[in-house]
Amino acid sequence: MSPSHQSGSGKGPAAPTRPPGEHDVKGHAFHDEESDPSPAPAAPERRITWRKLVVLPAVLAVILVITYVWITNIHLDSIAENSLSGGNVQLRWWQHVRLTAISTFWVLIIAIPLGIALTRRRLRKAAPAFTALANVGQATPAIGLLALLVIWLGIGPRTAIIGIVIYAVLPVLSNTVAGLRAIEPNMIEAARGMGMSGRGVLLKVELPLAVPLILAGVRTALVLNVGTATLATFGGGGGLGDLITSGIQTQRMPVLIIGSVLTVVLALLVDWLASLAELALTPRGLEER
Amino acid sequence: MSFWEYLITRHQQLLTDAFQHVSAVFQCMVIATVLGVIIGVVSYRSGWGGSLAITSTATILTIPSLAAIGLLIPLVGLGVAPTVITLTLYGLLPIVRNSIVGLRGVDPSLVDAATGIGMSRTARLCRVELPLAWPPILTGIRVSTQMLMGIAAIAAYASGPGLGNEIFRGIASLGSANAINQVLAGTLGIVILALLFDAAYVLLGRLTIPRGIRA
Repeated sequence: MSPSHQSGSGKGPAAPTRPPGEHDVKGHAFHDEESDPSPAPAAPERRITWRKLVVLPAVLAVILVITYVWITNIHLDSIAENSLSGGNVQLRWWQHVRLTAISTFWVLIIAIPLGIALTRRRLRKAAPAFTALANVGQATPAIGLLALLVIWLGIGPRTAIIGIVIYAVLPVLSNTVAGLRAIEPNMIEAARGMGMSGRGVLLKVELPLAVPLILAGVRTALVLNVGTATLATFGGGGGLGDLITSGIQTQRMPVLIIGSVLTVVLALLVDWLASLAELALTPRGLEER
Repeated sequence: MSFWEYLITRHQQLLTDAFQHVSAVFQCMVIATVLGVIIGVVSYRSGWGGSLAITSTATILTIPSLAAIGLLIPLVGLGVAPTVITLTLYGLLPIVRNSIVGLRGVDPSLVDAATGIGMSRTARLCRVELPLAWPPILTGIRVSTQMLMGIAAIAAYASGPGLGNEIFRGIASLGSANAINQVLAGTLGIVILALLFDAAYVLLGRLTIPRGIRA
């Protein structure tokens, strides 16, 4: 038998020239199913490890304790005393949390439905305009936007919240649109082929597939908003920014440091909580491998 | 005074502020790019090194910039120093992440080929890996610059240079006739500068991305 007839068997003399895991079938490369380079996942890993749960809160607690010990052991003059006593610090902390929570709520209420709408067939043509707007929006400094709103709407927490929301809507919106677009058209076609309506495809295929993305949007919005909320002080909106700016203005370093440390702790805490939520709520089937 | 009149009467001040804004952002971007690429090159080969670099820079980015400036003031005082340190730190993250992703994304067979024709480790890095990873690094630089334009505006509160001073002057004189002009001039100035920077990066990409790997 000549060698050319043997090649069809898959174990002919041509086989050694192929990389491991490939057979030669009638002159074409043929992948071996079993020797696929990515091995089947072993025992499923716990998604939220104890390290993830413990490390960051422990670090933050240590930072807070050190700051507390330091502040109770140094001498404070009357100006610094005034800014830090009488529950002022707690008040600013809660103002900050409220600013962040309320603005994040509105960002999600606005950005996610709008993102879904912009990927529907009827509105798809409007999407490039929004992308262009998002690009200009990204170039706009948050402090300038807030200052313009203050001139327009007057000072107060409401103005600050509107400013924070405007600033965060565009990034979350463009993330949502990008994520919905990235869903494989095959899946949507398959769903269509099964006889699903446009609504059915959206509710049963696209949205479940977009869950990780929406959660990422929540996290982005939260982290951005904690940061922008520090600027609320320039619009009379309160928050931890108040401590920072009054520390700079009155040149009282303890006030400045307390304000900054608490802001850092809050920001990292919020990001940590959001990352836990992201891990806990992502459907198992969609995890990255 | 109309906005236009304001621009004409104050153009000297505005141009100085704009120039200082650009120069601060540009210089910090240069430092951040050099540091970021070095961190990327050092850490991309090891799994934990890369994730450590990405996690620590991401943590910095999570911190609100006003708080970072606030923490630096007791250490280095007001003015240029906290501005430069803050801008450089915040500029690092996108560059570090994109350098690591870009360097890891280089086709191993190309590196093998470079080894095969006798290139040293340094030559491989400089002539094969970095040019191939350059487009994502450039994207990181663009993202960083956009972000720094806004952070530089906030740094003006700690007596930093730039157009942020214009915005804060407006905030300080709320209710006066010029407040809106000052805020508008500062904000629009920063938007325009950011868009100009972006255009410059597109041009830089045209000039520096090797012909062979252009999309």
